[in-house]
Amino acid sequence: MIGKAAAGGVVETAVILIVAAALWFAPAFAGDYWLQIGFRALIYLSLAEGWNLMAGSAGLVSLGASCFVGLGAYVVFGLLNKLDMPPPLALALAAAAGGALAAFVSPALFRLRGLYFTVGTLALAELLRLTMINVSLFGGATGIFLAQDPPDLPALFHCALVVAFLASLAITFCARTRASVILRAVRDDEDAAAQMGVRPFRVKLAAFALASAISAMAGGVQAIKLGAIEPYGIFGLQWSIDVLSMAIIGGVGLRLGPLVGVIFVIALGELLADYPEAHVAIAGVILIVLIRFAPRGVVGLVAYQKLASRRPATA
Amino acid sequence: MSEDARPLLEVSGLVKRYGGLVAIDRVDLKVPPGAIAGVIGPNGAGKSTLIGLIGGALTPSEGTIRLDGEDVTRLPASERARAGIGRTYQIPRPFLDMTVEENLEVAQYSIAPFIGAAAARKERAALLERAGLADASSLPARALPLLRRKRLEVARALALKPRVLLLDEVGAGLVDSEISELIALIRSISDHRTAIVIVEHVIRVVRECCGRSLVLNFGKMLIEGPTSEILANDQVAAVYLGTGGARTRADDKAAVPPEGAIHVRAPVEARTTLAALIAPPAASAKAPLLELQNVAAGYGQARVLRGVSMRLQEGEAIAVLGANGAGKTTLARVIAGAVAPTAGALRIEGRDVAGLAPHRIAALGVAHCMEGRRIFPTLSVEENLLVTARNGDATQVRERLQAAYDLFPILAERKMQIGTSLSGGQQQMLAIARALMARPRLVIFDEISLGLAPVIMDKLYDALALLKNARMTLILIEQDVDRALALADRAYVLEHGVFALSGAAREIAKDPRLRHVYIGDAD
Repeated sequence: MIGKAAAGGVVETAVILIVAAALWFAPAFAGDYWLQIGFRALIYLSLAEGWNLMAGSAGLVSLGASCFVGLGAYVVFGLLNKLDMPPPLALALAAAAGGALAAFVSPALFRLRGLYFTVGTLALAELLRLTMINVSLFGGATGIFLAQDPPDLPALFHCALVVAFLASLAITFCARTRASVILRAVRDDEDAAAQMGVRPFRVKLAAFALASAISAMAGGVQAIKLGAIEPYGIFGLQWSIDVLSMAIIGGVGLRLGPLVGVIFVIALGELLADYPEAHVAIAGVILIVLIRFAPRGVVGLVAYQKLASRRPATA
Repeated sequence: MSEDARPLLEVSGLVKRYGGLVAIDRVDLKVPPGAIAGVIGPNGAGKSTLIGLIGGALTPSEGTIRLDGEDVTRLPASERARAGIGRTYQIPRPFLDMTVEENLEVAQYSIAPFIGAAAARKERAALLERAGLADASSLPARALPLLRRKRLEVARALALKPRVLLLDEVGAGLVDSEISELIALIRSISDHRTAIVIVEHVIRVVRECCGRSLVLNFGKMLIEGPTSEILANDQVAAVYLGTGGARTRADDKAAVPPEGAIHVRAPVEARTTLAALIAPPAASAKAPLLELQNVAAGYGQARVLRGVSMRLQEGEAIAVLGANGAGKTTLARVIAGAVAPTAGALRIEGRDVAGLAPHRIAALGVAHCMEGRRIFPTLSVEENLLVTARNGDATQVRERLQAAYDLFPILAERKMQIGTSLSGGQQQMLAIARALMARPRLVIFDEISLGLAPVIMDKLYDALALLKNARMTLILIEQDVDRALALADRAYVLEHGVFALSGAAREIAKDPRLRHVYIGDAD
C-alpha cells in the first residue's frame, strides 16, 4: 500500500518526468533567445532547489551558493583541460567534490547556528575565492580558459535540463518520503528531534551535501557555457544573493517556491532588461514588499489565500 | 538480588554544575522495570535538570547513568533515545507545523527507517487511540490545546517504544478532571518491562501513580521512600511550604535586620534613605490603588485565571500563594499589562487600565519584578538599574541609585560588572533594585526566592520588610508560604485560576486548607 504522501510523490515524479521530457525537445522549436533564458532558468532552478532544501527543510540559511558554483566550475575545467574527460563524467565528479567539501567543512559550520551559520558559509565562499586568486595553479586572478570548444547552445540547454531534472527528483525524494518528516523535525526543533532518536548532525549534513552537490554540478554547466572563468565572477556574492532572493520571493520551504521564484525573477529581469538601474531598484522594492506582506513568498500567499477562503466552510 | 529487582534505570552520584551553581548534587535513583518513580520538590530544586540529564539533553558533570546495566552517561540525546529512553518536555515541544501523526512518524522513522508503511500506520493509530488523540491525527500540532499537546508529547515518546519513560510535569496547568484522565493514561502505559519516572508538582499524580518517590531540594536528595510515607513526612511539607521563613520572625519583629547586606539600620533612617525609591502617596486617594474585578486571562487555549477579584490600598502588602500552575505569575503579568485580561475590570486608582500596554501601566507607578530575574545580559549592574529610572531627572536618578546601593551594598561593589555575572542571589537583588528605580507606587515581586539558598532569601525578605515599613505597596507572589505570610498583611491563595482562600495573613497561615492547596488532600 502507498500512503498519501508517497502517492503525491509518485504524481510529482511523473510530472517532473513529463515536463523534462517535453523540454528536451524545446531546442527544436525555440529560438536562441528562449534557449538562453531557459538555460539560465534551469541553472538557477537547480541552485534554488538546493538552497530551499537546506533552508526550508533543514533550517540552514546559506549564503554560500557561490562557493559551490565556483568549486564545480574549477573542478570541471580542471578535469576537462588536464585529463580531457568527457563532460558528463566531469560534472558527476564536480558534484562529488561539492558533496565532499560540504562534508569536510560541516563539523566546523554546524557548530554555528542560525545567522552564524549563514556568515560561516559566506566566509567559506570568500576563502575559496581568495585561494583561487592566490594560487597560480588555478590561474590566479585571471582565471582559466576552457581548452576545448564549448558545446553549442542546444547541448548546453540539455545539460542544464539534466541537472535541473536530477535536482528536482532529489528534492522530491526529500520532500515526499519519510526523509521529509525527519528533515522538518530537525528544522523545527533540533533538540526535541534528538529526543526522538533523530541524529541532527547527520540529517543536516545530508541536506547540506546534497544541496552542495547540486550547486557544484550547476556551476560546472555554467562554466562550460562561459568558456572562461575567473574567481571574481564565478565565486561572486551575486550568485548567493540571486539564489536567496529567488527562493524567498517564491516561498521558503514550499515545494513550488524555487520554480515560481526563478520564473518571477528572470521574467522581471527580461521585462526590465532595457533599464538596468530600474531593474535593481524594482527588484529590491519587490523583495521588501514581499517580506513585509507575504513572508512565505508568492506561493505562500496563494496557498494561504486558498486556505483562508476554505476555512469558513470547514470550521 | 533476584533478576526482577535489577534496576532498568540506575542513576548514581549524578552531579550537574553550571559554573558555581550546583543544580544537581549527588543524586541516586534506581527504577526497576514495571515501577513508576516520582520526583518532587520545590521550584528550582533541579527536577527538570534531572530529566534533562537522564534524557541526554544535558551532560552530567559527574556520576553515571545506566540503562539496563549499560553505561549511557556519555551518549548524546539521539543515541539515548535509540537505546530506549523517551522523555517529554515540561512545556510541550511538538513540531507545531506537522500533523499529529507526522509528529509520531519522526520517532518511528528515526528508529526504524524501513518499517512497513502499513505496520507503521497501525502502530500510530494504536498510540493515538491510547493517548486519546485518534480524532486529531491529521490536525496540525499547533491546533491542539495544552492538554492534548501534553498527550501528544507522551504519545510521541511512546512511539520510540521506550524502556524508560521520563514524564516532566505532564500535569502542570491541568484542572482536576484533566488530571484524572492523565493518571489513567500513565497507568495504561505502565507494564512489567517499562520503567517510568514522573516529575510532578501535581501531587495527586504522584500519589496515585508512583510506588516510590524522591524529594529534591536545592539539587540534593532530601528523602527517598514509599510515596505514602514521603507525602506524610513533615520535612517534605516544610520543603513545599517553605522552610524557616516563619522561624524567629516574631522575635526580631523590630525593623533592625539581622546582620546582613543592608546598611540601613534605624527605621527612621531607612525611611528617609528609601524615600528616593518610593513614590509619595497620592494626595486624594479615594479609590483603591489597585482593583481587580472578575478578571479572567490566559494564553490561547490555556485559560489560566478564571475570575479573580482583589482590592489593594496604598501601603498594603499582600501575598498571592498557590501551587505551580495555579495562575500566580499570570496574575502578576495581568496587573503589569503583559497579558491583557479577557474579561473583567482592572483599575488603578479607579482608572480602567485593562488592555493598556505594559509601559503605560508602568508609567502609572506599577513596577514588576519578574519571575526569573530577567537581568539584561549585555548591560552592567548600574546600566541595568538605570534602564527603569527614565522618569527621573539627573539628580533624582543619582539619589535613587544611591538609595538602591544603600539597600544592597553588594550592588555598589559590583556596579561595573555585567549583570548576569552576579550570583543568583545578587541577581535577584539587582532585579528588586531595578524594579524600585522607577520610584513606583506598587511593586509586584514574582517568586523572588526561587532557587535561592535560605540565607539569601532572608536578606531579600529583610529588604522587603524595610520597604513595607517605608509604606511601599507590595504584592508578593510566592511559593515560599511562610516567608510571604510573615511579611504580608493579607493573603490570597490561588487554586486553578480562582482564589480558593483569602483573608488576613495571620488567619491564612493557620488555615489547614492552605496545606491542602499545596500538598493536595492530606486526609
